[in-house]
Amino acid sequence: MRRATATWPANNEPGGTGRPGGAAVNAGVAITAVAVVSLATAVIGFYGLRISRTTGDFYVASRTVRPWWNASAIGGEYLSAASFLGVAGLILLSGTDALWFPVGYTAGYLMLLLFVAAPLRRSGAYTIPDFTESRLASRTVRRVTSLVVVMVGWLYIVPQLHGAALAIRITTGLPSWVGSVAVVVVVCLTVAAGGMRSITFVQAFQYWLKLTALAVPILFIVFVLAGQGTQPLAPAAVNPTGAAPAGPYQNISLLVALLFGTLGLPHVLVRFYTNPDGHTARRTTLIVLGLLSVFYLFPTAYGLVARMFAPDLARSGQPDAMVLRLPGEFLGGTAGSLLSALVVAGAFAAFLSTTSGLVVSLAGVISQDVLGGSVRGFRLAAVVSAVVPLGFAFMTDSLALAGSVGLVFAFTASTVCPVLLLGIWWRGLTDTGAIAGMVTGGVLCGGAMIAGSLALAGSGQTPAWLAQPAAWSVPTAFAVMVLVSRATAHRIPATMPRTMTRLHTPERPLATGR
Amino acid sequence: MTRVRVTAPHASPGGPGRGGPRPLESREAAQDTEVGQVFVRSLIRSQLRLALVVAGGFLLILAAFPLVLVAVPGLADTKIAGIPFDWLLLGLGIYPVIGLSAWLYVRSAARNEARYRDLAGEQ
Repeated sequence: MRRATATWPANNEPGGTGRPGGAAVNAGVAITAVAVVSLATAVIGFYGLRISRTTGDFYVASRTVRPWWNASAIGGEYLSAASFLGVAGLILLSGTDALWFPVGYTAGYLMLLLFVAAPLRRSGAYTIPDFTESRLASRTVRRVTSLVVVMVGWLYIVPQLHGAALAIRITTGLPSWVGSVAVVVVVCLTVAAGGMRSITFVQAFQYWLKLTALAVPILFIVFVLAGQGTQPLAPAAVNPTGAAPAGPYQNISLLVALLFGTLGLPHVLVRFYTNPDGHTARRTTLIVLGLLSVFYLFPTAYGLVARMFAPDLARSGQPDAMVLRLPGEFLGGTAGSLLSALVVAGAFAAFLSTTSGLVVSLAGVISQDVLGGSVRGFRLAAVVSAVVPLGFAFMTDSLALAGSVGLVFAFTASTVCPVLLLGIWWRGLTDTGAIAGMVTGGVLCGGAMIAGSLALAGSGQTPAWLAQPAAWSVPTAFAVMVLVSRATAHRIPATMPRTMTRLHTPERPLATGR
Repeated sequence: MTRVRVTAPHASPGGPGRGGPRPLESREAAQDTEVGQVFVRSLIRSQLRLALVVAGGFLLILAAFPLVLVAVPGLADTKIAGIPFDWLLLGLGIYPVIGLSAWLYVRSAARNEARYRDLAGEQ
């Protein structure tokens, strides 16, 4: 038990892990863990390559993926750096306020199930731009949607790469860029090699890896703490950094972003096309909800244990690294080292799976819109989709992971979400309305993100309404979309009744009866 | 432009080995008649109503959780097995509510579709 002596020094200098005993893990063990995960990802990816032969296989796994596999894959893809590292770190910092993050991430899937899952599967489109184009019969809508989707994807990949940089620096002491570059290289190799089929297996494997990597160490820690009868250093309600708690506005705005942002995420939607029909799409989502609920118990447990038994981790300046450091704090020797390596492996699985999911969906959009939809175009697009955010990641500084991912959700909720919801459920949507709404939402939310970071750089504080724009940007985007559609009602496409029928009616042939 | 559409739902020949006409055709046949459209509209309406009811119910329960914690003094600090009650409620208690809502929805949505299939099949 090292807890009594090992008070974590309150420094966060970038190279601060070079000190003996300073790295949370034995560097060699950590590098091995990362290498094993990357190798396993690549091997499963290449193995899948032998199965996928036709263009159809390459894009959507020929829709033959079983619900359990598919649900694990969806879970694996969805649980990103923010879920694996960010949520626990934020809970350590903000306590019960931060519990809204995992709740929102999970409840977002409920909204997806209720409003989007089956109709979107039945639409027969592969990407969100495919959907908007066929629903609104307009190439222009398609282009605007593609642009928005690519922006969302890139914005979402950047925090994953920041997470990888952080994890590599903390655990191995190597320079940050190694982490980001490693993720991009592995993802490019797997995606370009195997397409979607192998990605499904990779993602499914990574869900279970992530769950194990969080569950086993925390169970060990709790067991050790209980066995030794260790008394908490601080009650859970005490805030270790003394920062002000978030007000109700921020919690509500965050929930709006998470609830409505999930159903517009491009990498989540792509997954639904691998279900054979709408009903299976619903069943898959139900399983996903179960998998997510189980997963999020563990970041919550990390946050609670760290808050009560190791509150000084919050003062290290990098709460996102807490999950990586916690096993080493409580368990010394080989056990601590191995468990930390397991956590690092899980974290890398998170970066890899989310990034590859996003890259697959972005490559789908880019290759269909720009490169003509061939397999070669898909490979090229995959490389482009991964390398551009790498540049962004080098140019920007890492914010709190859960926070920056929360902003991406706000952006999605203000742009893709209204067009999907209204397109699926409202006959009156027109192409002009959709474009006006997406542009308004994108400008408002993007503007708030930029203004917020400028305010942060200037005064060190972001006003709540800029930090969490969803509460006003989402309703505005909806309102603009509805009003402009009303004003241009003559543009409702003639194909609308046919499309609506296809979206909502069950696939079973009617003529044969039941 | 050689755009390859590999993804239209029933574009591939040898798809799922169902007998009878291809599903898409029969689905689209349903909307070519006036009556067919009435059925489709009523299906969409009932599915939307269902989704809104489940979402609304879930959000009410979600909102009730923090309100209960504020309304009942001392409840948040009550400990069960060493874990404060507010942590248990928000960190553990919400997930079964989400799962239950989802399960109810999947069942009812399938029932709506079965009803539609019966109606439309009788034409």
